[in-house]
Amino acid sequence: MRKWTKTSEFYVAIIILVLFAAIGSQNGAFFSSANMFDLIRSSIVPGIFVICTMMVIISGGIDVSFPAIATFSMFSATKIILMLDFDVPVFAAFLLAGIIGLGLGLINGLLIAFFKLPTLIVTLGTSSMFSGFLLTFVGSRQISNLPAPLEQFGKTQVIKFTTDAGITVGLPMSVLITAAVVILVAIMMKYTMIGRGIYTLGGDPVSAERIGFNTRFLQCFVYGFVGFLAGIAGMIQTTMMRSSNPVDLLGTELLIIAAVVLGGVRITGGHGTVTGALLGLLLIVTIQNSLILVGIPSYWQRFVIGALILIGTGVAAYQIKRSSAKQSSILT
Amino acid sequence: MPKALIELNHINKSFAGVHALKDVSLRIEYGEVHCLAGENGCGKSTLIKVMSGVHAPDHGEIRIDGQLRSGLNPIEAINSGIQVIYQDFSIFPNLTVAENIALNGELAARKKWINWSKMRQTAKQALDKVGVDLDLNAKVEHLSVADKQLIAISRALMHEAKLIVMDEPTTALTQKEVRALFRVIEGLKRDGISILFVSHKLEEVFELSERITIMRNGKNVISERADQLNREKLVYYMTGRQIDESYYEIGKQSGTPLLRTDNLSLKGCFEHISLSIHPGEIVGLTGLLGSGRTELAEALFGLTPATSGEIFRDGEPVSIRSVQDAETHGIAYVPEDRLTEGLFLEQSIERNMVVSVIDEQKDKWGMIDRRKVKSAVRSWIQKLGIAAHSPLAPVKTLSGGNQQRVVLARWLAASPKVLILNGPSVGVDIGSKEDIHQVIRELAGQGLGVLMISDDLPELRQSCNRVLVMKRGRIIGEAEGKSFTQEVWSELHDARDDDAGPVERRGNTA
Amino acid sequence: MVKKRSMSAVAMLLIFCMVILTACGGSNSGSDNESGGTNNGGNEGGKKYKIATVVKLTGVAWFDRMEEGVKEFGKTTGHDTFMQGPQKADAALQVQIIEDLIAQKVDAITVVPFSAEALEPVLKKARDKGIVVITHEADGMVNTDFNIEAFDNLEYGAFLMDNLAKAMGEEGEYMTTVGSLTTKSHMQWEEGAYKRQQEKYPNMKAVARQLETNDDQKIASEKLRETFKAFPNLKGFQGASGNDAAGAALAIEESGLIGKVNVVGTSVPSVSQKYLESGAMSMIGFWDPAEAAKAMNTLAVKVLEGKANEITEGYDLGVPGYEKLIVKDGKYLYGAAWVGVTKENVTDYDF
Repeated sequence: MRKWTKTSEFYVAIIILVLFAAIGSQNGAFFSSANMFDLIRSSIVPGIFVICTMMVIISGGIDVSFPAIATFSMFSATKIILMLDFDVPVFAAFLLAGIIGLGLGLINGLLIAFFKLPTLIVTLGTSSMFSGFLLTFVGSRQISNLPAPLEQFGKTQVIKFTTDAGITVGLPMSVLITAAVVILVAIMMKYTMIGRGIYTLGGDPVSAERIGFNTRFLQCFVYGFVGFLAGIAGMIQTTMMRSSNPVDLLGTELLIIAAVVLGGVRITGGHGTVTGALLGLLLIVTIQNSLILVGIPSYWQRFVIGALILIGTGVAAYQIKRSSAKQSSILT
Repeated sequence: MPKALIELNHINKSFAGVHALKDVSLRIEYGEVHCLAGENGCGKSTLIKVMSGVHAPDHGEIRIDGQLRSGLNPIEAINSGIQVIYQDFSIFPNLTVAENIALNGELAARKKWINWSKMRQTAKQALDKVGVDLDLNAKVEHLSVADKQLIAISRALMHEAKLIVMDEPTTALTQKEVRALFRVIEGLKRDGISILFVSHKLEEVFELSERITIMRNGKNVISERADQLNREKLVYYMTGRQIDESYYEIGKQSGTPLLRTDNLSLKGCFEHISLSIHPGEIVGLTGLLGSGRTELAEALFGLTPATSGEIFRDGEPVSIRSVQDAETHGIAYVPEDRLTEGLFLEQSIERNMVVSVIDEQKDKWGMIDRRKVKSAVRSWIQKLGIAAHSPLAPVKTLSGGNQQRVVLARWLAASPKVLILNGPSVGVDIGSKEDIHQVIRELAGQGLGVLMISDDLPELRQSCNRVLVMKRGRIIGEAEGKSFTQEVWSELHDARDDDAGPVERRGNTA
Repeated sequence: MVKKRSMSAVAMLLIFCMVILTACGGSNSGSDNESGGTNNGGNEGGKKYKIATVVKLTGVAWFDRMEEGVKEFGKTTGHDTFMQGPQKADAALQVQIIEDLIAQKVDAITVVPFSAEALEPVLKKARDKGIVVITHEADGMVNTDFNIEAFDNLEYGAFLMDNLAKAMGEEGEYMTTVGSLTTKSHMQWEEGAYKRQQEKYPNMKAVARQLETNDDQKIASEKLRETFKAFPNLKGFQGASGNDAAGAALAIEESGLIGKVNVVGTSVPSVSQKYLESGAMSMIGFWDPAEAAKAMNTLAVKVLEGKANEITEGYDLGVPGYEKLIVKDGKYLYGAAWVGVTKENVTDYDF
């Protein structure tokens, strides 16, 4: 059918293929299994973040507080577990981080759903609040010695093999969590009433209410769920880095939003797919992790990342402009 | 009394102290086409929302099929067969045709999971009922207004609708599409479905309905068979006063026009616009939304300067590249809603008047000269005949008509020669409308040239000496004001409808 | 109407609260300034000053340790000393904090700039208002009374390079990272290391230099992985930012490259201990930030007391590592306060 060639996912996929070919022609090591695994590894935490951001943007909002929620959840969960005297199972650690994240996300959700405050303002504010609260009241010192089960989880690899060059290539267990989140959310967005409700909310919130969706519930659900996932992502970061740093992750939100928008999720809400968001992330992660391979000097690496953010947000701004433009072809 | 499809008895509803509905009753029989008429703000929309369970009434009862329904919510209303098609159709541009039609039903059935093939099936059936064929997987944002409306109607039929409420369904349709819609409505009536048709367009009210209920100021005034009413009675019931239809006429204009354009074009918006406005003229400009009329006005005011063509003021070629240019050349523009929403009700008349011309009231030190302000305000109050006991009284103490004059004064304080009004009476009740028109006529009488953009045929007919019709960026016709009737409008506008059809369909995908 | 208005009033109120809370969260972290102010016994009855220390970032072990020094100095001397810093490594946030301190009319500001250039204007403003400014890790800074370094940056970089060369057997490819290309000290360490390698270790080769890590462990880790793919013979890593060495060591441990790639860098023992012990890290260098804080604060007090002209070559600040200052151009001071830590002596330090 002609239709799928018209989707933005299709174009992003083509750009990625061209990019792969370009980088690969510069340095054959790009196509090595070690590199492919590293790209996946670099996407584990951001992968959950793009899923979060995608849901929020589809629902017609924007969330810049997820890094703060992730950091808050992982750090305070680690602290709590360290205070307990016995070895808490890994599962419980993730659950705890998730629940803390859920609580913080619900604060966003309630402010947005019941006070009808602009989502950007709310999340900018709460982002700063969460982070400030964490550093002031929970602690500001990096935890280098994780509880044993978490340390162990971080070291466990799903796949592990040694290449000819003698490098051990592997993926941590947490990649399964990200994969599960991706599949779960993809199914939810496409095949459940809540998922479709999120789309209707982004398409036209008034109409969504009229046809019988509880829009307040939907908004609370979106921000709460995103908080939950951010908490999980934070815990993954902790296990992967084998340390819990209360200032980690902060500042990553712009690149994530840029990735999501590049992946065809419309910043004005209502449009976007999990596939698109992941492709956008793949694009950004590939560029971020290939600049040394193609031999770009470090000053230029700054330039490239800056340009990426600019293009990502530029695409978003262009979408907004286009959606509000009246000048769309009145003439034939 | 035998039981009716739906009965609303003695409904009261207020929002934060404002009484939106006062003791309103409405009764709709099985299979009738009923019309709910009234001016904007009379409570029609609130009544619909009560009927569809969106708002709970403060007092009063709702009976459906004779059964008392208290605590009606939207889903129960839908399950009882009441479907509302709102003005914006409540459809989702980001979803597919199939989903737009079928999602409601699935939601009402409290389904948790989506079965896409089943949704497509139900959507297909619904579209067949109305007799249209659309691509089920197409995203709705690419469809035309008429197609969107058909989707909304199909969706309403989905759930074994017994009553379909249509809120101002014809606003954005071409004449041809309106005809098509009426045929669909007749078809529905044959299937035994009741229609409640909400409108403030008098022509439509008569054409369709068997019974008419008229509301005014949150109360219902009368419920009557359509053949018992005529146009004058309707106007009287809607406004509560007798309004004579009169026309604005001035003699044939010669001499130098105040404003003239020659082949004015703005890429993508309008092209080859040549028009002229003489002193004392009120020239109407109409066309569907998106015909380029607003863009033309904004180009004349320098907001989005034209890309080619010329503008003449008093015969002199002028360049209007910015709002400042336009103001220098004595052109003022009152955007849509400004006449209705541009007031600071709590502030004094004086303050409301000076906001837009504060520059002119400054003394040489850049301070506001109170005395100058006072005398300017006095003169405007006099010139416009505003009945106020003091310039310091809050605007909200004035009557509607006088409030309108205050707003106009704000735009006139810069002493323009050409006044461009965009939708001067959108959302205004007939009474205030009349007041606005009166003021505009007086201004034209003093030598001002007016360009009035409007949808409202009676308004154009009564206020303008000439009316220009725009379509897809071009002026396609001109008519004398008093003879500008529905028929003339259709004739002018639909003259080239055949070649327009496919273009319209393409919508904004191009 | 009425409903709408009260709603927006509530909204305004909320935003207001948020801003206030945010502001508190933003700058208050770690400013327990009550601790030392009242305890003024022991000092020879001189005037008590209010001295603020502004750091790049709060919440990292490095500056936590610095804060200990700040507090200890306050306690022993009776001066009102406290530390502030942004939660995000961002020059603009640092400028904002200093602006606030100027408004509070502190007597002296000691600062560890994130970006020296970005702070010049605001520090000039501070000095114009009569506030004493002492900087650290900002060699060549113009608007400062004194810049004090724990050591000469080039020499410290060379010191790290000596250790890296030793670990690498004085031959092979290596890479270097910095927290940010605008962090002067990181750039100078890297410069010093590179120079030393050029002069003394001709068989070594820098294959990737000055890669930016944004002071982020994860990025440092990714940079090492990527560089290793581009240059499979990589044998050495030298990291400037406090998180770089740990990130690289983590990647090395996970890639099974222990013994193949050697890591040296600036770090603190508490973070590096496990990597030093596993062999993923060869050696870390640092200087005790607590001592640096004491040196900065001592300097500030000296200037406030009008003893600035006493500070000449060989001056003893009375702080370990700063007993014999080197002075360049009158106001650039250098101690010799670096510490090298390996697997053997890592347990001697508790921060």
